[in-house]
Amino acid sequence: MDKLVTLWEGSGLYNLELGQAVMMVVGLLLLYLAIYKKFEPLLLVPIGFGGILANIPEAGLAISALDQAIEVAKPAVLQQMAAALGASLDPLSNADVWRESLHAIAHDAAAPDQLRAARDIAVGVGYGDGMLYSFYNVAIASGIAPLIIFMGVGAMTDFGPLLANPRTLFLGAAAQFGIFATLFGAVVLSSMGIMDFSLNQAAAIGIIGGADGPTSIYVSSVLAPELLGAIAVAAYAYMALVPLIQPPIMRLLTTQKEREIKMTQLRPVSKLEKVVFPLVLLILVALFLPDAAPLLGMFCFGNLMRECGVVERLSDTAQNALINIVTIILGLSVGSKLMADSFLSFETLGILGLGIVAFGIGTAAGVLMAKLMNLVSKMPINPLIGAAGVSAVPMAARVANKVGLEANPHNFLLMHAMGPNVAGVIGSAVAAGVMIKYLG
Amino acid sequence: MQDQELLQDGLALMALGMGLVFVFLTVLVISVTLMSKLIGRFQPVPVAVDTGKKTSQSSAPSAQSDEVMAVISAAVHRYRSTRRR
Repeated sequence: MDKLVTLWEGSGLYNLELGQAVMMVVGLLLLYLAIYKKFEPLLLVPIGFGGILANIPEAGLAISALDQAIEVAKPAVLQQMAAALGASLDPLSNADVWRESLHAIAHDAAAPDQLRAARDIAVGVGYGDGMLYSFYNVAIASGIAPLIIFMGVGAMTDFGPLLANPRTLFLGAAAQFGIFATLFGAVVLSSMGIMDFSLNQAAAIGIIGGADGPTSIYVSSVLAPELLGAIAVAAYAYMALVPLIQPPIMRLLTTQKEREIKMTQLRPVSKLEKVVFPLVLLILVALFLPDAAPLLGMFCFGNLMRECGVVERLSDTAQNALINIVTIILGLSVGSKLMADSFLSFETLGILGLGIVAFGIGTAAGVLMAKLMNLVSKMPINPLIGAAGVSAVPMAARVANKVGLEANPHNFLLMHAMGPNVAGVIGSAVAAGVMIKYLG
Repeated sequence: MQDQELLQDGLALMALGMGLVFVFLTVLVISVTLMSKLIGRFQPVPVAVDTGKKTSQSSAPSAQSDEVMAVISAAVHRYRSTRRR
């Protein structure tokens, strides 16, 4: 009978907390959105599944050896660890109270060397880091996974349309207003006492408006790792929603006549220009904005491999095999941040809300900038392509093309919209660099 | 008081960030335009050669096709006859 009780007490059902159950449902919801609604399935499938794995009770896949030991170790081990952390446990209370106080000490008060000592004890009695925890440390905490994905994106990007019409870079710049407006919105919300975001957290939330998954993950891993799960989920979910979010804003801000504007055909771009462009960009980054160097450096590297034409194998690996491998690990790592205690809070709702506002403002700013440029320049610019300035490659460009075709069935804007679209990628990486410089 | 400071910081970051993004991309526009002009001036040759090659290739087949066909069929014929033996 005793053994049966032990078995029951070790089961998932016995240990399941309400929060974990809710998070498992959230994970299933993400899987549903990915599989049946085709919302960025390449990322939401691993993220949703990782979220479920992270919330399996007792398994501790997403926590460190120390946390795992604090949660499940025997009382004797707990006392050893308390000694290492320089704390004393009340001998009258039971193990559950000890666990709670140790948890609080380990996450707030303890000094790094005390934490290391306690960790050594935990490892010594046989507890290890959870699989997802290790994935997270290797892939995201080090910054590697988002950067490798950025390299792959660089290897997939054709800068031809941008080089043919460099002024579309301004559209990519304007759309980044979504990032900063949302940052300010988050700051306003917390100064009014509705939410509680620090400036770092506000910046990490704002970057959702860049509509660029790897950039969002990179920035939040530097500035606000505690919000990473919610930010990544919001970023990818809204990227999938671009075809729903953008068109109403685009129609609201443009007249039928403006939507019908035909753009002059793009000039052909020589191969040499395409080879030199990533190098020019790299030199400018080195000169003016070294903090954007990790993101834009990898991006330029990927693009150079694509355009130089002598390392086809590397370029092919970067845009196919490598990016797929890294996507799997990145998705699972993001999933590890979908743990109940950090995800299930009022702030997550705030992040989801602010994220959609960021997309909307970015779209509007791009369209308005295009209208402004139309007033100044001689070459006609269809304001719809401004909306493609939020990166979301190539979805946003396709949306611009589709709305253009609705207004005039013979007006193909796709190539024109690719210019601001890739400019948006550069713009959001620059914005990320500025924020990391200012706050990091 | 602290809220006020947070607001000011946020506003400063917004202005600074947006400004820097615009400045950087403006510099990028200028340098890309310059680069394209430079390349266009010093290297109009490869483009011209490229198009030249293409036109010569595209016009050539019609003139040469009979000759080429004859050569190919002769080669195939000889290859087959040697294999059969």
